[in-house]
Amino acid sequence: MSTLLVVRHTRSDEELGRAELLGSVPIPRAASLTATLLLGTAANLVLAVFVAGAFIAAGLPAAGSAAAGAAVGSVGTFFVALAAVAAQALPSGRSANGAAAGLVGVAYLVRGIGDALGTPSADLLHVASAWPSLLSPIGWGQRTRPFSSPDLAFLLVPLAAAAVLAALAVVIRRRRDVGASLLPERLGKERAGVGGRSFVGLAWRLQRSTLAGWCVGAAALGAVAGVLSPMASETVSSIAPLRELIARLVPGGQTGLIDVFVTALLGMAGVFAAAAGIQAVLRMRAEEAEGRAEILLSAPVSRARWLGANLFVAAVSAAVVSTTAGAAAAVGLAVSGTSDGPAWSLVPAALAHVPAALVFATAAAVAFALAPRLSILVAWGVLAVAIVLGEFGELFGLPAWLQDASPFRHSSAMPVESFNQAGAVGLLLVAAAGASLAAYFLRRRDLAA
Amino acid sequence: MNAAAQPVIEAHGLAKHFGRTRALDGLTLSVAPGEVHGFLGPNGAGKSTTLQILLGLIRPTAGTARVFGLDPWADPVAVHRDVAYVPGDVSLWPNLSGGEVIGLLTGLRGGADDKLRRDLIAEFEFDPRKKARTYSKGNRQKVALIAAFARPARLYLLDEPSAGLDPVMDAVFRRQIARVSRDGATVLLSSHILSEVEQLCDRVTIIRAGTAVETGTLGELRHLQRTHFRVTGLADPARLAGMPGTHGVSIAGSAAEFDADPGDLGAVLAGIAEPGISGLSVAPPSLESLFLRHYSDGNGGQRTGGKRAGNGKDSSERTDSGVL
Repeated sequence: MSTLLVVRHTRSDEELGRAELLGSVPIPRAASLTATLLLGTAANLVLAVFVAGAFIAAGLPAAGSAAAGAAVGSVGTFFVALAAVAAQALPSGRSANGAAAGLVGVAYLVRGIGDALGTPSADLLHVASAWPSLLSPIGWGQRTRPFSSPDLAFLLVPLAAAAVLAALAVVIRRRRDVGASLLPERLGKERAGVGGRSFVGLAWRLQRSTLAGWCVGAAALGAVAGVLSPMASETVSSIAPLRELIARLVPGGQTGLIDVFVTALLGMAGVFAAAAGIQAVLRMRAEEAEGRAEILLSAPVSRARWLGANLFVAAVSAAVVSTTAGAAAAVGLAVSGTSDGPAWSLVPAALAHVPAALVFATAAAVAFALAPRLSILVAWGVLAVAIVLGEFGELFGLPAWLQDASPFRHSSAMPVESFNQAGAVGLLLVAAAGASLAAYFLRRRDLAA
Repeated sequence: MNAAAQPVIEAHGLAKHFGRTRALDGLTLSVAPGEVHGFLGPNGAGKSTTLQILLGLIRPTAGTARVFGLDPWADPVAVHRDVAYVPGDVSLWPNLSGGEVIGLLTGLRGGADDKLRRDLIAEFEFDPRKKARTYSKGNRQKVALIAAFARPARLYLLDEPSAGLDPVMDAVFRRQIARVSRDGATVLLSSHILSEVEQLCDRVTIIRAGTAVETGTLGELRHLQRTHFRVTGLADPARLAGMPGTHGVSIAGSAAEFDADPGDLGAVLAGIAEPGISGLSVAPPSLESLFLRHYSDGNGGQRTGGKRAGNGKDSSERTDSGVL
């Protein structure tokens, strides 16, 4: 959040030409950057106070709460300064946001590795992080150990680093032209590759970075499923009500708790797969709304082919996301060494969620064909409703027919359940019907802005 | 061979309603093979809507449209095979380079003529390696134009194609129109830039509020038009107001501006001749004034001392003649 705020007020302003207007006013060249840095710091100060207040309200010790708030605030401030440097160095708001978010991700990852390698205390409630944590700003914040042995001195590290980075950003800004950057805008290819000359190529091209994002998420889920399930199942087994709850969430939960966890997390990966598919389909709406569909569809290729290309990429996306989750879970289980069956079987288990994902993608396509302006709302709404009905329906005691309306209910919850062939075929038939329906209606409507 | 005589584009009573808005209201348009046809009208007159109907992107509420004798709504793919289209507001994929977009758009139509593509990129002084995100409006326009011209087509549908091009690039664009026209292609060029249509087109259809108000060759339309006079150094400019054959006389000091009917030109010339005059400019019956008259007829009372509100982007080299 800190990084988005900074990039929006610096590089993006410049891209949109607003900075030029400001630059004509008699203020120092780096004024808007300094203002943004101050704003970001202030925002993190507010956040720190809020976090501390929330912890105190939750009944935690006041001193520790204050320390925790300070830790969050200082780490946030560090990222403000980091994003400021990214915005100065990179040519577009998009790339600066990407770089800053990536660095935040790396910081989390490094800290995560540090924690994983750390030595847990006897009661499993604390982990003394290993050295990699100290390479991550988030690790620095964590190192203050607000609630055990507060050590605020460590906060000087992110704050000092923030000050250095902020100064660096200001120096760069003072020395460069408006619109210029340390790293130039990367040039694209001079001509389209063979794949870039078709609807499928285009759809793939537009989807691949989003897909990479979903895959990272799916891999994280899968890894969590693999690595943490053994640990969590041990903990859960000792708490009876929790065990019951988990058993209710996952039907047929008499098997090992590890399987239950893995199944639940692969089910979540199935939701990711559906979301990736929906996004691939909704990209058509973006093309239409932003006026690019007009020039695309003036080519001698039918609308059905356009739809088909995007649905194909949606299906590929769903499969790739599921495979990633399954593979990550398999690797995780193998690493934690508690696999009780062949770990590779988790890949097909994850793929069992693809038919349901396809139903959501085609539902989005039907919405796009029938009511383009509402399609984004409808597509995500359908997914949300299905999650509520399918995953929590039993919990809420909803009637069976209503629960069964959710495609998720017909996916095989492997490895807990065995593969439900009829369910998968049924879902695929529904998806096929949806695709034909979408093609039929898309052919019969005006292109809408 | 009845195909030779058959119009490439034929539209009858074309209407398109968006809710209560009538974007088109009974438009009739006919474009013969090999013709460069100007489709002239103010913004919002229905030019883009017409082109979208001709491409089968939207369905007319009423009336018929035929392109190559085919109904574009029923058979869009067959129609598109021989059509190159440049939309009015070119929007591109921000992360694709210009070259990639050209490759995509021509690739969908069966591939570009490689030599043509290279020549066009050179002529338009276009850098195909930059990401589309960084392109200005003119550069985005170039992408669409290069993609359209990089492959032979029988019909070019161009929606305000030179908006955003500088005069040098505009000349390149005109050369391309001349080239495809020489090769026998038909061009429908929508525009509100009058000089452009005047220089490029054989025939013109003027559209206002969704209907064609005038159609014909430039010569046929010109006879409708009055000649514009501006005289300075008159001893008594007010006397021109009473002179037969003059219209819309406006006086500023010793200068007078007025329009004259073609039939009264002799009498008017004789009437303004006096020893003291220091300047005389006579603007030919330009398409611009024709256009402005058609436009302002609908709005009424837009004659504000030779300057019209809403003249917009049309500040080409001939602004000084754009006077009523």
